[in-house]
Amino acid sequence: MPMLDIKNLTLEIDTPMGWVSALDKVSLSIEPSEIRALVGESGSGKSLIVKSIVGAIPERWRVTADRMNWKGNDLLGMSASQRRAITRNDISVILQNASASLDPSATLREQIEESIPAHRLSKGWFWQRKQQRLDIAIQELHRVGIRDHNQCLSSYVHQLPEDICQKFSIAMALISRPKLLIADNPTVGMETTTKVQILKLLTRLNKTAGLSVLFVSHDLLAIAAMANTMTVLYCGQTVESGKMSQIKRRPLHPYTQALLDSAPSFRRDLPPKSPLSCLDGTIPTLQHLPIGCRLGPRCPRAQRECVKMPITRRIHGHEYACHFPLHRGKA
Amino acid sequence: MPRPSFYQEEYYPSPMRHTWTEFQNNHVALAGLWCLAFFILAAFIGPMLVPYGPLQQNTDMLLLPPAWDINGEISHLFGTDSLGRDLLSRVIHGCRITLGSSVVLVLIAMLVGCSIGAYAGMSRGLRASVINHLLDAIMAIPTLLIAIIIVAILGTGLLNSMWAITLALIPQFIHQTRDLVRREFQKEYIVAARLDGASNQRLLMRDVLPNMVEVLVVQATMALSVAILDISALGFLNLGAQSPSPELGAMLSESLDTAYAAPWSVALPGAAIFLMVLSINLVGDGLRTALKKRLLQ
Amino acid sequence: MNSLLTVSGLSYRKNKNSLFGSQELFRLSPLSFELKRGETMAVMGENGSGKSLLAKLLVGVLEPEGGSILLNGEPVCNTSKQRRFSAIRMIFQHSKESLNPGLTLGRQLDEALILNTGMSASERKKQIENTLIQVGMLPEHQYFYRHMLSEGQHQRAAVARALILNPQVIVADEPFAALDPSVRSQTANLLMSLQQQLGLGFIFISHNLGIVRHISDRILVLEKGQVIESGKTEVIFNWPKSEYTKRTIQAHQELISGQ
Repeated sequence: MPMLDIKNLTLEIDTPMGWVSALDKVSLSIEPSEIRALVGESGSGKSLIVKSIVGAIPERWRVTADRMNWKGNDLLGMSASQRRAITRNDISVILQNASASLDPSATLREQIEESIPAHRLSKGWFWQRKQQRLDIAIQELHRVGIRDHNQCLSSYVHQLPEDICQKFSIAMALISRPKLLIADNPTVGMETTTKVQILKLLTRLNKTAGLSVLFVSHDLLAIAAMANTMTVLYCGQTVESGKMSQIKRRPLHPYTQALLDSAPSFRRDLPPKSPLSCLDGTIPTLQHLPIGCRLGPRCPRAQRECVKMPITRRIHGHEYACHFPLHRGKA
Repeated sequence: MPRPSFYQEEYYPSPMRHTWTEFQNNHVALAGLWCLAFFILAAFIGPMLVPYGPLQQNTDMLLLPPAWDINGEISHLFGTDSLGRDLLSRVIHGCRITLGSSVVLVLIAMLVGCSIGAYAGMSRGLRASVINHLLDAIMAIPTLLIAIIIVAILGTGLLNSMWAITLALIPQFIHQTRDLVRREFQKEYIVAARLDGASNQRLLMRDVLPNMVEVLVVQATMALSVAILDISALGFLNLGAQSPSPELGAMLSESLDTAYAAPWSVALPGAAIFLMVLSINLVGDGLRTALKKRLLQ
Repeated sequence: MNSLLTVSGLSYRKNKNSLFGSQELFRLSPLSFELKRGETMAVMGENGSGKSLLAKLLVGVLEPEGGSILLNGEPVCNTSKQRRFSAIRMIFQHSKESLNPGLTLGRQLDEALILNTGMSASERKKQIENTLIQVGMLPEHQYFYRHMLSEGQHQRAAVARALILNPQVIVADEPFAALDPSVRSQTANLLMSLQQQLGLGFIFISHNLGIVRHISDRILVLEKGQVIESGKTEVIFNWPKSEYTKRTIQAHQELISGQ
């Protein structure tokens, strides 16, 4: 049974032009101890999905779903406090720009000790608990690969480089021993070497601690290196989802193909300086979403049928939503 | 200019239009604008319409109450004061003097303040810090106090009080402009424009000014309300416009002696000042909110 | 074929001046390179290695401490500022920030023409429209303010601004870093095709090794203000010499092979 199971999640946003569905029947599921990548460009609603999972969405917006379950419990039907208990104990989120999401006016020690949940401390006098807190903090820092814990704990955010900050925020996210870690674009703007370090860290945590990771990003290179399964979003619609290796070898949806092509590193045979293949046009804004398949106007294979939303089809655990998929003859 | 949008249903306004649209959505501010427009109109054409001169005395009608009172007469709508002068004519003339002189002095202060501020914003080193810190120190003193000191040196009179308030307002404009210019000059579009070969002066006039105008207008409305209050305060204290002149503050202090017998002669000029300042503040506040909303988007 | 841009011994020193003498904050050691017509050079390096500084020195935002920049064999410092600014143009990382929020796109492009050419108003309008079409926008876009344009269009507008003076060299500071994959490919394609048509020399700074490998002919690697490696792209990717380059390329290979 999947740990997190979302089926046909629709999120409607109140804009001056009326209600717009920013997420349109998105499905996403995460099995225990897998790394699921959520891929999409800006405006595809990646962050909105993250926000609706942790319940950080303004009340005015309408959220509907056929199913939105956390370990079999319906998240949307829960009371606010039950839901908060889940996001506190079982789900953790790390954000892009770790240095901006940490408190600039407190030392890292204060911040990490504050986030230690009470059940991890055994009963004792306050000085004993203080010592326990410090021990736990150091232990967690070692787990994410920060060796110089003393220097890290006594520093403020601006004194540390970005990758240490990101590792620290991972440590802080792990301190409640979550089952699922949601990483929202954690490597954006990083250099290749530091990026690889963070990715390796996440992979290791996944392998050793059995932590599930939802890796949200548009950096296909990073995703391809670590994720087991992948879900591709475009403008709030799930376009394709399945095993990473399968999708990478034979994408069925034209958009996935275009995304894969946009990373020149994947294609060894590409002669240098040859034009990269890419889709024409730009991502439509929220006010101008086309009807039916939202890729329609930009899709090279679009035909008349594409003004209707294609139903999601499934072949060997590989789901796609397209009237005219690529490689159909062979699949 | 063609309408810059490819979508029929959508209209992207230019920045200034956008601010105006936001402003229009604020009904209170719009009411303030109408009220202010009424005062400006009264100041321009009112004196041509009123039946009496501001200094014309009618000894038959001393302390006549306003027309809505039982003893009032329609020939003097707002009544008369202790010398038999028609209050309506005096208030309208007073609006012209108070509002007009405030607008003139704010314009002068803005012109001088913005030039010095722009210079301070673009210069560096000792010169900049002298300008900044000296003027910031002056800003710690209330404008009215500075104005009183200056009037004490120059002597009383409307013109002197105008000079005094102008001088007292200039530091605010310098401060604001300097901050704005500083901030804008650090932005990347200035570097880009500089690489087009633009000189500092051209950068200021062509690139920075369009982005500053609205903020400066907001600042000017705030300064205008301060100027009106200060001019009438100086007039009230007998430091500004002198007694027979129908300046609103001077009128107030003059009719203070007969306040018990003829409360309207105090209340009406006071109400005029109040409404003027209120409407200007509403407009200024509305503009500031509209600007903030636009920049947030 | 003689070189378009020759840089020799270019150096810079950033000081912090205080009352008690000055303190050296950063130093760009003398560096030299050549760029031919139609050639692309990538500049790589860690944050704070002086990449952006190099770009600023080349386009003339900052004055170098020593060394010379020769354009077609003539030192740029001696030629008039106008010629320098129109021959070497820059594209910024945040193309949105580099557009003036209070002016229409056309006015900004016009400004460059007014300052650097003696064209009449109608010629300028024509040139603006041609350039906009060249970068794949519509002539109507000249009446747009920056908040009306999308991300990809900002990037195109920035390219148009660089191209409008018919430059010979374009310097770009992380032109691809802040872009979505599809917009990134579009921009890369645009720059490559413009380079082929116009024979531009192109210097760009980037973290993205995939793009660097694809579009650059040569690479310059900087570390703490010093050139630690330079050479042909293929050579550097296959046989990196310095520690930093080895590390980075190895990390990149790991990502591709997906371990």
